[in-house]
Amino acid sequence: MALLTVSKVEKSFNQNKVLKKIDFQISKGEVIVIIGPSGSGKTTFISSLNFLNKADSGKMTFKDKQINLASPKKDDVLWVRRHIAMVFQNYNLFKNKTAVENITEGLIYGRGLSKEAAFKKAVQELKKVGLEEKKDYYPSQLSGGQKQRIGIARATALQPDIILFDEPTSALDPELVGTVVRDMDKLAQQGQTMIIVTHLMSFARKVATKVLFFDDGQILESGSPDQIFEHPQNKRTQAFLSAIAEDR
Amino acid sequence: MDFHFMVQSLPQLISVVPVTLYISVIAIIIGFIFAALIAIIREKNIKILSPICAFVVSFVRGTPIIVQLYVVYYGLPQFLYFLENSGVNVRPNSLPQIFIAIFAYSINASANLSESIRSAYHSVDHNQYLAALSVGMKPSTGIRRIVIPQLVPNLIPNFSNFFLDLIKDTALVYNIGIVEIMGKSNIIASFGFKYLETYLDALFLYLVICFFFGKILQITESVVRKRVFNKKSRPSRGYEPIRERKVKVEGE
Repeated sequence: MALLTVSKVEKSFNQNKVLKKIDFQISKGEVIVIIGPSGSGKTTFISSLNFLNKADSGKMTFKDKQINLASPKKDDVLWVRRHIAMVFQNYNLFKNKTAVENITEGLIYGRGLSKEAAFKKAVQELKKVGLEEKKDYYPSQLSGGQKQRIGIARATALQPDIILFDEPTSALDPELVGTVVRDMDKLAQQGQTMIIVTHLMSFARKVATKVLFFDDGQILESGSPDQIFEHPQNKRTQAFLSAIAEDR
Repeated sequence: MDFHFMVQSLPQLISVVPVTLYISVIAIIIGFIFAALIAIIREKNIKILSPICAFVVSFVRGTPIIVQLYVVYYGLPQFLYFLENSGVNVRPNSLPQIFIAIFAYSINASANLSESIRSAYHSVDHNQYLAALSVGMKPSTGIRRIVIPQLVPNLIPNFSNFFLDLIKDTALVYNIGIVEIMGKSNIIASFGFKYLETYLDALFLYLVICFFFGKILQITESVVRKRVFNKKSRPSRGYEPIRERKVKVEGE
């Protein structure tokens, strides 16, 4: 039984069609990795799942609730966002909050926890990513890798059904990628449902239960990591994978 | 130059400083409240109201303050007479000049400050707001907890600029018969034809007042910035590779 299903998702910016009738579904525990060239609509697609980008048309079924993607009710939007967390490419930690406050904000104002409970939970989450001693640091005092791990802690603290990762390692320098990847890997092993947009093919191969290849606003090919990376059927997929072969 | 006269007339000028401050402070407070409303209306793009606000703002910003002052001075009483004739009890005859001045300067302030507020709002990375939504905050909560605290430090320098301009612009209200620093200077000077001496006094007073408020707002900015971002007042001068490196090595 699918946890989240979307069908016929469409989105254009002016005349430019960015998403062309995309159908997608994910079940509990799945890790779906989305790969594809820049500008193919990957980010637009995953951010339409938590309504940070509003799709022009399409339907969503999330936990047996039907929602129209183009004209969702305010309460539904809030409800979805409280169950689908997101980790951003540029971390987007709240600049006016410390590391621990970055996590408590969502717990208090999104989840309705008390301040004490939220703080306790936030410290726990920081411990998990090994940054407990940085809890009173502001984002400007942290390195990119630390920021992104706090970004991940902020998402996991909400205990969401699904976590969306939008190129979580693209802004990091190569040395720091490993630390973030390790945290994500750990989450995958714990059975966290995730949708990951990434350019790290080796990582995609390792964690994905399913890989989607996006190009020009469509899913051109989907399948298991082995299928996509070893025997890609589509010409575009083949070209894309051979172009970035060095990374594999 | 008659230094003795300068020293002697200074206390007389100081006695009217409260009038200047009264007009400036009240106008900036009223102006700020309306500026915030205008900024919200324009940013939310509320139908009908938004274009009206945009028109009023460009109108006020495109006309000299002294003309606005005269228009309010001659126009407001007429409007009140009109209301009185329609049966509303407004008593236009007892309208004090200072009220007219505050009215005109408030309109001016609300138009100008609304633009400052808008630019401060746009200075905050939109992704900060999206991140607030992504953790399940209501839009209004996201604005209140994440966006507004970050825009305030960027608003203060513009606010400070405008407020100092406003204080200096109140020198025009002697035109409608209010005796503030400039009005008083004209009176004192005309007694002994000691224009230079009196105006130097006025210059000195304006300088002190503006310096005082400028400093206070500057300190406020650095305190607020530190509280919001835990950063020093001056942004770093750009790329600082050595420090950046140290932080990374420490934590990873």
